[in-house]
Amino acid sequence: MKLYINLIASFLIASISFAGDIELQNPSTNQKAPDFSGINSYGEMIRLSDFIGKPVILEWTNHECPYVARHYNENNMQAVQKIAQDQEIIWLSIISSTPGDQGHVSPSKANELTVARGAYPSHVLLDESGEIGMLYGAKTTPHMFMIDANGVLRYKGAIDDIGRGMQFFDASFSKAVNYVSSQLPKLITQKALGIDSTVAYGCSVKYNYD
Amino acid sequence: MKNMKNIILISSLLICAAIAANPVETGHARASLITNIENSTQESFYVGVRLEMQDGWHTYWENPGDSGSPFEAKWKVSDGTVVENVQWPTPVTIPYPPLMTFGYEGDVVFPFKVFRSLDSPLEKISLEFDFLICADICIPESASLTLDLSSAPPSLLLNKAVTNLPTNFIQTNSSSDQETLKVTFQSSEEIKSAYLFPKQDNVFVYTPSQKLVKLNDDTYEISVPLLSSDINFFSGILSLNGEGFQIEENLQSVSSMSLWQAILFALIGGLILNLMPCVFPVISLKVLSFVSMGGDDHAKIRTHALSFAGGVMSTFISIATALLIIRSSGSMIGWGYQLQSPIVVGILTLIMLGIGLVLLTNINFAAGLTTLGSSVQSRNDYSGSFFTGVLAVVVASPCTAPFMGAAIGYALLQPSFATLPIFIALGLGFAGPYLILALKPQWISALPKPGAWMETLKQFFAFPMIATALWLMWVFMVQTSGDALILLLILSLILGAAVWMIATFKGRWKWIGMIMTVITAFQIFNNLPASSNEMRVDASAEKWSLEIESEMQSQNQAYLINFTAAWCITCQTNEKTALAREKVKEYLAEENITYVKADWTNRNEEIAIGLAKYERTGIPLYIFWKPGMRGSKILPAVLTEDSLIKSMQ
Repeated sequence: MKLYINLIASFLIASISFAGDIELQNPSTNQKAPDFSGINSYGEMIRLSDFIGKPVILEWTNHECPYVARHYNENNMQAVQKIAQDQEIIWLSIISSTPGDQGHVSPSKANELTVARGAYPSHVLLDESGEIGMLYGAKTTPHMFMIDANGVLRYKGAIDDIGRGMQFFDASFSKAVNYVSSQLPKLITQKALGIDSTVAYGCSVKYNYD
Repeated sequence: MKNMKNIILISSLLICAAIAANPVETGHARASLITNIENSTQESFYVGVRLEMQDGWHTYWENPGDSGSPFEAKWKVSDGTVVENVQWPTPVTIPYPPLMTFGYEGDVVFPFKVFRSLDSPLEKISLEFDFLICADICIPESASLTLDLSSAPPSLLLNKAVTNLPTNFIQTNSSSDQETLKVTFQSSEEIKSAYLFPKQDNVFVYTPSQKLVKLNDDTYEISVPLLSSDINFFSGILSLNGEGFQIEENLQSVSSMSLWQAILFALIGGLILNLMPCVFPVISLKVLSFVSMGGDDHAKIRTHALSFAGGVMSTFISIATALLIIRSSGSMIGWGYQLQSPIVVGILTLIMLGIGLVLLTNINFAAGLTTLGSSVQSRNDYSGSFFTGVLAVVVASPCTAPFMGAAIGYALLQPSFATLPIFIALGLGFAGPYLILALKPQWISALPKPGAWMETLKQFFAFPMIATALWLMWVFMVQTSGDALILLLILSLILGAAVWMIATFKGRWKWIGMIMTVITAFQIFNNLPASSNEMRVDASAEKWSLEIESEMQSQNQAYLINFTAAWCITCQTNEKTALAREKVKEYLAEENITYVKADWTNRNEEIAIGLAKYERTGIPLYIFWKPGMRGSKILPAVLTEDSLIKSMQ
């Protein structure tokens, strides 16, 4: 009897702590990347584990954020996406903006943006609830994650090294060290990257916090 | 026509006025430049950027938190005027759950201190102010502001902002476990709210609140969740009831070593010290002298061995006592620190050279073995053995053997009662082989039989001694100057002559030779030029500073720090066998690892503090960090090309 009470009690405590807080997770690099599923801009269910065998890059985005806008206006993000596509790397652009907030888009608007900007994502995921964002601890747009073909998280952080401070808006992308594109060759070898974690910069992800 | 000119003039004036506007509407804020200068005779005063943000909008502190960016100010001032970096006001938390940001809302003034030379006139001061302003969304905005310092009215608002700056330090005492940093502090005022705003990013989790506990009447503790468990330094602003205080703390890691472990390390380290390059020549002489005693009776061997051990022990105990006295005066000191004095280095040079010369000349081997060749030892007393023990420790001081660095670091950074036992253990380890010999004098028969070969070997040992002297001369030159080195060389010549006289003549000539050397040495060292405090410049290395690690970590820049000195022979050996090798240089360049050198050849308090962060007081010390590592790592004290590269992978 006592055992049952204990079981019930611990179940209750567990469910309370699950339902209670909105908490950002902080997945460790060089460990299995947390699996997730989400709906893409064509209404299809996409699951990370479906891509085992190919490296995957996650890009948190918000087309109205000035940081993201600069990366796309100057063709910087698209260039990295193209390099990834050429190497058959899966690129998931994820929008975690809550409906009504900046960056939230309808599926058709998401596709329009892809065409208009000449972008090369494999899929655009609409993460309205912010579930995937919080699972990965996505804080900013852009915030990048690199996962190797075995599903191991190899990198989390900024896309490049010019994001600290307001100089971002003057600094040249050509002089930046792009942590993603420069580490793609090593990502394919399925080994730990030289740099596996940096501080992401940009606008905050517009989670539902009300 | 004249009217036309006037119109052009007036309209261009209007344009100027528009450019030089103050305040400026930037979109979601009004920015203005203010000053508190009251008259033209003030050499220092403040200018401030006032930002009046619309409701619901905010801008950021120097560490913006999970997102955002601090502003950037580009000043244009006339020659003779310098504007310092901003002095950040106390920020507030601006939560966007689950994210947290740090910044300012509403009406805020950012004060900048200005210095000017009084011979330059008070002129206009201009500023390009770029900032990120956010509500739910973020917008980069900017303002070009100009202020005429000669006519601007002093602003009470700015004075108030300066008064409210968090300039006072509050003493904190912190400890960390895997997940939280617990910071205790004292306040006589009742604290209702506390928040620690850390400057370092990627170290803390930014939570909406930090748990505050009242420990007793005036002691409080707040808990700040950590992202990484390895934290050895933090700084920032502690906001208490909304009032900001500066904080900065080096964490003494909850002792990573016990006293017993430190003593064991000291024993092993002392034993290994016998084999280190700076000690080896002197030690070999001692071994030879024991060989020569092969046929002697055991009691004599025992007494010699004990005399030697006594010399070693009393020197270690004297060093420990001296270190304790110096430490109690508040100075940071370290192992080998005595070699930071060129006079000590000069005297050691002469001792080494003197021993070398004694070995080469035909001063009686048994008599003049390690003393400077007087007739004292032929009387068969044991002061010679004692003196060799002292000398062995003195010449060992530039060396750190494996295990020894950690033990001495512990000895000097822990409370005083730990210092003496560790130094005694070090001495016991160092003298260990001879103590065993004292216990078992019969073991000496295991050594080769004495013979003519000893004379040859003895003469050969002159060369490592002279090589050591040459190395010390180089150290001396680095510490002083080429001119001073010439003086030391002249002194060496006189020493040579003195040794020759002692060896060749009898009676009072010996004394004349000794007195001659001592007088000249005294003269020269007394007039030694002050040591040049300039660091040697190494083009391939960054210069070290106390903050360099936190700076580089925040920029995600991998680094290798080399704490070194000209007088540290282990360091110099490592340079030659590892650090200065092409393969290592290539690896550093390839992996974009910044190479930093901290040169401790001359006395430097900051470097001593830097070493203390790693619980060390001596060198060599090599520190490596790359992005993704939780904390920096201490590399082995003895390096090779391959082991160095491997330890950085």
